Order: sequence, then structure tokens, then C-alpha cells
Amino acid sequence: MTDTAIVTEKLTRRFGNLTAVDSMDLKVAAGQFFGFLGPNGAGKSTTIKMLTGLLAPSSGRMELLGLDFAAHPVEVKRQIGVVPEGMGLFERLTGREYLHFVGRMYGLDRATTLRRSEELLDFMQLADRPKTLIADYSHGMQKKLALAAAVIHGPRILFLDEPFEGVDALAAGALKALLGRMTERGVTIFLTSHVLEIVERLCSHVAIIHKGRLVAQGSLEELRAGIAGEEGSKTTLEQVFLSIVGQGGAERPQLEELSWLM
Amino acid sequence: MADVAQVPGLWEQIRLVAGLRWRILRNGLRRKNNRWDLIGLIITGFLGALFALGLSFAFYFGAYTFLSTSHEAWLALLFWGIFLFWQAFPLFTAGFGAGFEFRTLLRFPLSLRAFYIIGLAYGLADFAAIASVCWLFAMTLGAGVANPCVLPAMLVIAALFLLMNVTLERMIGSWLERLLARRRTRELFFALFIFFIVSIQFISPLLQRYGRSAQPWALRLLPYFAVFPASLAGRAIAGAATNHSRDVILGAAGVFSYLLLFSAFLWWRFSAQYRGEELSETAAPSRVSARPASQRDDQEDALRLLSPQVAAVLRKEFRYLTRNGFAFFLLIMPPVFVLLFGTQFAGRHPTATKHPLSPDLFFPGMMAYLILLLMSPAYNSFAYEGKGVQAYFTAPVRFREVFLGKNLMQLAVLFLELTLSIAAFSYLVGLPSMPVFVATLAAIAFNSVGQLSIANWSSLNFPRKLEFGQMRGQRQSGMAVLVAFGTQILLGGISALILFAGRWTDNRWLPVEAFAFLTAAVVAGYFASLDALTDLAEKKKETLIEALCR
Repeated sequence: MTDTAIVTEKLTRRFGNLTAVDSMDLKVAAGQFFGFLGPNGAGKSTTIKMLTGLLAPSSGRMELLGLDFAAHPVEVKRQIGVVPEGMGLFERLTGREYLHFVGRMYGLDRATTLRRSEELLDFMQLADRPKTLIADYSHGMQKKLALAAAVIHGPRILFLDEPFEGVDALAAGALKALLGRMTERGVTIFLTSHVLEIVERLCSHVAIIHKGRLVAQGSLEELRAGIAGEEGSKTTLEQVFLSIVGQGGAERPQLEELSWLM
Repeated sequence: MADVAQVPGLWEQIRLVAGLRWRILRNGLRRKNNRWDLIGLIITGFLGALFALGLSFAFYFGAYTFLSTSHEAWLALLFWGIFLFWQAFPLFTAGFGAGFEFRTLLRFPLSLRAFYIIGLAYGLADFAAIASVCWLFAMTLGAGVANPCVLPAMLVIAALFLLMNVTLERMIGSWLERLLARRRTRELFFALFIFFIVSIQFISPLLQRYGRSAQPWALRLLPYFAVFPASLAGRAIAGAATNHSRDVILGAAGVFSYLLLFSAFLWWRFSAQYRGEELSETAAPSRVSARPASQRDDQEDALRLLSPQVAAVLRKEFRYLTRNGFAFFLLIMPPVFVLLFGTQFAGRHPTATKHPLSPDLFFPGMMAYLILLLMSPAYNSFAYEGKGVQAYFTAPVRFREVFLGKNLMQLAVLFLELTLSIAAFSYLVGLPSMPVFVATLAAIAFNSVGQLSIANWSSLNFPRKLEFGQMRGQRQSGMAVLVAFGTQILLGGISALILFAGRWTDNRWLPVEAFAFLTAAVVAGYFASLDALTDLAEKKKETLIEALCR
């Protein structure tokens, strides 16, 4: 049993002349609720795709749960769960059929797959639409189903790309509670989100990527400690993020240029 | 108060919409992957222009000849030609897909009147309308040259006929849009369309067999066509040529009445759209009664002989097939083709040949044609996966299991279809001699398994996303089509040579032995290729995901 869930060494991905992820050295300990942040186009999704086997790195190395991804892709995939960008659902299946499919693809036996599918459908409040195709689900329902599929095999690392986008407040609350319980049981959760409040509330550790390079990594306290906030008030993650990525607002669009709107 | 000084005029808005459409087309073709589309568009454009111009001459000479030879009543035929083309062609080319591009204009500050007129102008921008306007112009010119006195009436009637047609075409389009907004309706229409296309195939043999006896019955129906717009337009011009002003007025009034009627319906539809009619794909939420709690955990898995992953892919493929209107309804085609070709080329009274083809020749040929049809989808076997294709890369499976599941399904469909087709063939034509029958079955095994490895390779290299239940913009990759064509010609050629070798050498069982040997070789080759394809899938995963998740 390893203490480190994810380690990357000089992980790089190039698309032609563009270096989307540049020599990233990332380390995530087992059981952490890890937030992966960055502005649009920073390389978050590219990183998560590489860590889940959807994209091959141009160079560098990835190790998940002590296993080299390149050498043991199937063994690694057996232990991770993913909600990829766009959710990756087979839209012409019903929710139940999709969970059966995923459970069997991960090698669960039939009885376990059936039992867990029912439990997950009930938990996600999707059980009352047994004949509805995923294509006819709302965005929030699809997101919940993608989450259910990602956890059906009891993964040890869970990769979530914008998991709460489009999910209603009730379901989001239940999901957050579920994810919290999973980390208590030692599951590592690697999450990207543009909603910094969610990351601040859920995550114990955070990394920030900007223009393909990892520019900050550590616990929330460590990151806050590096930023001088107003005296007596607690520095928020938003302030930390803007301070690191926007260099104190220097890269933010200048509102003065839009004077005609104000 | 917003800074909008004034709403742009109607013509300015039409110009903006035309510019938008042009930019969408141009930007779409700029993509690297769409170079073939650009070449296709140029070729189609050239052929389309040839078609429209060529028929313009025909319409010119038709109008000229009918008026100068006192066959004025026949002018209605020309109007019928234009009318049918204008209304039917967009139905075939638009396909059964949801398209709300025009409705998106509603977010802008347009009046209902402007929305209506832009809608009509939009209707004049497609090929059927442009070609039909060219033909109407050519007709007017021909009529004017043949009899200058007819020209004023011809101009009025042509204008009315043009407006009536564009209004009707938009009306049908907007009603279809409403009907096809829901996936299920779209698929139902698609099924009806397939049945229609299949039925058309039988028109020629039926006419050859029953045409003569049906003639008097058809002639009795002809007078009823006089009340339709094309006949009324023809009647008006014929009246102008023969100085029967009553016919001119009645004909013009008739076409005008149709124009008013269609305009009212179209206004009604556009008003509903303007008010914000919701044509959502998503079903309105409704509480569904709780499902029975019965679980089937204790039942044995029918596919337990397969690995869980292969069984999962096989089940998924089966469900996808039954839910894909396009693929599912196409499954009726092979037995129908057997019936169709059977009646034309074999049996007691073939309609296309004087003497029936012998089953020994006809059976292998028919089976080769069916293999050609049935194996084609295998060359782009990820077409309907969409974003789900990512699951194959995130799940702990090797691609050999994915291919095994998919190929098993393809072979099962092939087996079922060929069994039905052979049954239809034996009923209609009779089975060939035993050596030819067995050799053809062995050739089917050789051809189908032989194609699978190459089809799997093609699926990884030239993936193209296809949408369920849609015809709009549904094209396979050009390279996948070429690979499929080349492979089928090669394997079909080898099979034909071997089958004929049996005749030439007078050894009727030689093809069976040869095909048995070849089938064993391609089966071994197929299993050997699976690992190589697994490695290839890993290399090609970005191409695959990008093409299918678009």
C-alpha cells in the first residue's frame, strides 16, 4: 500500500507548437481531496486526460498508486474512476443499462453490478426513469449518472472534471457528502472546478496550473500563508488564485476600456 | 436604454443572414479535415449547375414548342415538373435531423413581418429553389419568344407560381421541423422514409407486370389533377395563348388562392415560432411509476461463455442496433433486395431479362451483393459511440475485447440477415446445386471474417461520427469508403475466381476446399490481428476521441 496516489515527473504534452502541459511535477498523497485549478486553457483538462489514459503524454512519467501508467495501464485503470470532460456516456442506453455496462467493463461480477447499479441509481435519484435513454436526460441527470458510473467499481482514485456543473443544489449536497465519506475511507479525489468556493470548501490540497506550468501546490493553509491578506481577515482561495495567476490583477481585463457599459 | 439607434432595415437583415450563412460555410470548409468536403462541394456545385442549366434549355424549348405547335395544354406538364422538384428535392436533401439554425435569429430584435420575409428569402437560397427559378425564367423566355402576346400573363403566373412554391416549401419545412423536433418522431419518419424508398424499387417491376391493366384506372384520375396549382398555372398560360381570358383569370386566381392559403398556414407556424415555441429534445419531466422490485441477480448470464467485457460490449452493440432507427430499418433491405432482384432476374417470369438466370450463377452474385451491403458499417464501427468512446480508454480493457464484442455482433447480424435472405431466395428462385451452395457459404465465411480485420483497422484510422436517426450530413469518411470498396473488390474478385475455377476445372467441390483453407487462414489472421489493433488503438486514441466527441 503506497502513501502516494499520484506522482508525475516532467509530464509534458505538446500539440504541434503549443505546449499544453510543460514539465509538470505533481504529487498527490493518498486520501487527499485535491483541487486542480487554473484559468481557461491552462492545461487542466489535458492533465486529467493524461492521468486517466485518454491522452498520451509527449514526454515524462506518471505513476498512480505506485504503478507506472505506461507499463501497467490496465492495472491502473482498474483502480481509478473518471468523469471525463463531456462525461463520456453512451447516450442510447438507459441509465441502468449504462451502469451495468460500466460495471461489467470494470470486471465486476453480474450480481454485484446489478446490486450496485440499483443502489447508485437510487442514491442519484435516477431510479424512477428506467426506460428513459441517457440522450433524453437533462444535463444535471447525465452528470449524476457519469458520477455513478465513475464510482461503481469502488475506485481508489477518482478524477472529476467539473463534477458539480449543472447539478442541482440538493444533489450537489448529497454528492459532496458522498465524496467526503470516500476520502475518509482513503479514496483520493482529484477534482477540477472553476467554482473556487467549492474547491475551498471541499479540498484539503490544491495545485494551480497556468500556461501549462504548475505554479503552486500545497495545502490550502500553505497557499494562504504565501499571500498577504488584509489584517484580521482570512485570505480566500479566490485571492490566492488571482494573486498567483493574475499577478494581483495585472492580467485581468481592464474595465476602464468598457466605459460605455458602465 | 440600450444604445441601439435604429433597428436595421429588412434588406440589411437579409444581407446579414446571407453573410452569416456564407461565413458558416466558409469557416466549416477551412478545417483541415474538411478538405474533401470542399472538393465534394465543388464537384456537387458543378454537377448541380450543369443539371440546372441543362434543364433550363429543356424548359425553354418545351415552352417554345408547346406554344408554337398549338399544344398549349401541355404547358401544365412543365409546371408540374417544377412543382414536384421544388417540393420533393428539399425533403430528400434536408434529411431527418433537427435543425434550428433559422430560429436562432429570434434572439435579435426582428418584427414578425421581418421574420416571415427573411424566412421566405431563406427558402429561396436552396438548390431546388434556385434551379426552379432558372427553369421558370427559361419557360417564360421560351413562351415569350414563341408567342409575345403570352408574355404578360406568363410573367404574372410565373411570379405567382414562384411565390406559391417558396411559401409551400417553407410551410412544409416548418411543419416538418415541428414534427421532427422529437427524436422518436424523427425516427418514425425515417422508418416511413425507408419504407417509401423500398417501395419505389418495386414500381418498375409492378408497372411492367400490371401497367397495361392499370392504365384506364390512372386515366380516370387525371381530371382531378386540374385543381392543383401546376395545372392551374398551365391552364392560365394556355388560356392566354388561345385568347380565353376566363381561363387566364381562373388559373391566376387559383394559383393566387393557393398562395394565400399557404401564406396563412406559414404565418401561423412562424407566429408560433416567433412567440417562442419550444421544440426541445428533452422530454418534460414526469413522475414514472416505481419499477417492480424484482431483481434478476440469481438468473444465469446468457453470455457467460464470454468474458464480462466482451459480453458487455456485445450487449451494448445489440441495444444500440435496436435503438438506431437508421441501422435497424436498413436490416429489412437484404431480404427485400432478394425479392426485388429475384422477381427481376429469376423465377418463371423475370421482368428485367428474357430468360431467368440460373440459381448457380444468381445465388453467389446475390450473396456477394448482400455481403457488400452488410459489411459496410463495420469499416466505421465506432460511428455511433459519440462521447462514450472514452469509456473504452478509461476502463481496464484491452481493445481486442472491444473488437471481439463488436465483431461478434456484426457476424450475428450477418448470419441472421443471410439466413432470412437465403430462405427468401430458396422460396422465390430455388437453391443452387449443392457444390455451389456449400462453396458460396464457405465464400461468405471467408469474405466476412477476411474483411473484419481490415474493417477494424479502418475504424481506428478513419473514424467519422454519425448521428442516430438522422440523414442530414451523415457521411462516412471518404477513406473508409475507399478501403471498404478496395477490400470488397479484392476479396470478391478472389472468390469469383475460385468459384469459376470449379467450373473451368470441372471439379465442382474444388471451390469448397479452397474456401475452407482460405477461411481457416483468415480466421487465424483475424485473431493474430487483434493484439496489433489493440496497440494501434492506443496510438490512435486521440484521433478517435477527437473525431467522435466533436
